[in-house]
Amino acid sequence: MNTYNWLIRREFWENRAIWMMPAVIGAVMILVALFGQVNQVSIPLQLPSQTIGGGFLLAVAATFFAVMSIYSTWYLLDCLYADRKDRSVLFWKSMPISDTVTVTSKLANALIIIPLVYFAAADLTALVMAFILSVRASSQVGGALWHADLWLQMQVLWLYVIAVSALWYLPLAGYLLVVSAWARRAVMLWSILPPIALILVERWFFGTHVIANQLGERLVGMGALAFRDPQGCCSWASTVVDNDTIRTPVSIWGFLNPGGFLSSPETWIGAAAGVALIAAAIQLRRRRSEI
Amino acid sequence: MTALIEARELTKKYGAQVALDRANFSVQTGRIVGLIGPNGAGKTTALRAILGLTAYEGQLQVLGREPLRDRTELMRDASFIADVAVLPAWLRVDHAVDFVAGVHPRFRRDRAAELLAKTQITGKRRMRELSKGMKTQVHLALTMAIDAKLLVLDEPTLGLDILARSAFYDALVNDYMDETRTILITTHQVEEVENLLTDVLFIDKGRIVLDSSLDDIATRYAAVAVAADRVDAARAEKPFFERRMLGKVVLYFEHPNLEKLAGLGEVHTPSVADLFVAKLSGGSE
Repeated sequence: MNTYNWLIRREFWENRAIWMMPAVIGAVMILVALFGQVNQVSIPLQLPSQTIGGGFLLAVAATFFAVMSIYSTWYLLDCLYADRKDRSVLFWKSMPISDTVTVTSKLANALIIIPLVYFAAADLTALVMAFILSVRASSQVGGALWHADLWLQMQVLWLYVIAVSALWYLPLAGYLLVVSAWARRAVMLWSILPPIALILVERWFFGTHVIANQLGERLVGMGALAFRDPQGCCSWASTVVDNDTIRTPVSIWGFLNPGGFLSSPETWIGAAAGVALIAAAIQLRRRRSEI
Repeated sequence: MTALIEARELTKKYGAQVALDRANFSVQTGRIVGLIGPNGAGKTTALRAILGLTAYEGQLQVLGREPLRDRTELMRDASFIADVAVLPAWLRVDHAVDFVAGVHPRFRRDRAAELLAKTQITGKRRMRELSKGMKTQVHLALTMAIDAKLLVLDEPTLGLDILARSAFYDALVNDYMDETRTILITTHQVEEVENLLTDVLFIDKGRIVLDSSLDDIATRYAAVAVAADRVDAARAEKPFFERRMLGKVVLYFEHPNLEKLAGLGEVHTPSVADLFVAKLSGGSE
């Protein structure tokens, strides 16, 4: 555990973007809240306070989550390649740390630690913004940003999404690690070319698109398994704004579907493929020291 | 007594190119062994195999372990500098010390601090800000602070000036080396290490062409400098190499007849550097 601790620290030393990027995003959002024309934003007065508060929290979280997904993807692609490129792998390999520990520390960093850093940054940003907006735009938002139950739901949602994504995206993470441990240059290109080549080959020779469907399903399919169809599972609030009825869920509790996610074969087939790919990345790391 | 490093038929191919060609050698505990060969001879490949950084064919045991399979365990007892200037550019000196202290059970932090104090390098600096020589000093300080049974150094003083080089070798022999340790070293500057080596391994085209202690070299090899008119008489003793020097001819012999040679000219034990040139230029023809 101590070794993992040091390896995670080492990742933070090398990749200062892990904490600098969320810090910059948070700072920009706070600056906008401070100096933007927030009192001119029109929020339909009829909307329930909970909808405004929930929308605010979701918007902040989604921004951080989107950037985090892109960063983690890039990180996985780069992490085993960078130290082969600058040959520092020769220094890291002179330490009594197995390749399994090295590779899994980078995996844990990408799937758990980095998301947690963004989660903390999102929370802190939302908190500061809520203070500022409550003062600067009090006439529009009132107490909408201070529903304790919404904040609690947001914490649960973050942790749930982090846990579910770590399992669901394990095969993609494993694939990126394989490319990172294997490629001699152009990791980005090497990560994109094989799937495209496979999709095209399948299409030309068999006229089918099983691979494309599977890949698409893996990229966007998590939501349908990890969350229930919102119709009929959530408590809803209806509001009429300019003759349109706006229905917004006021609670996420009925929305999460961990049982459905964990009992789905897709989850576990993917996880098994992920474990196999990670094992392959460890073997490549063992045998391919230098470029 | 079993050897610390034991290689039998060690072979490594990169495609059609053979980097190591059934090399046999062993290294005993307590020795300082120079692995010496021209560029592309297989030195680096041999070191990579010994350190568990590359797959190989044949048999190889280092500290009783199979390097590639047991690299993690091996690295508790062996330390290495596989090349200079491989510390990553973003790493800070104090972080490097913290990291090694955190993950290496045999790292002595006080020793590293002592070695770094002798340099002008401060802890907050990153490797990218340091000169090549300074980076080498940091790496050497980290490595020499590890209580290892085997220390492997590949061109350890590349980029260091003469003073730093001589200080390094002094520290290596006087402070670091003792009878429980073993050092395997490669360098281009053979003259510089010649006085501290106890054994040499000459490697050429992937094969070991000489595996000898320096004591054995003194009894097994001799060189004689003769005047031009005596060259033919000396050639009758079957030298394996000869070269012209300042109007004289120096001839190199294996298992020499010292009495006869003494009658021809000035007999001396060849230096490691001279023997290396002689063996690799003439020995294989």
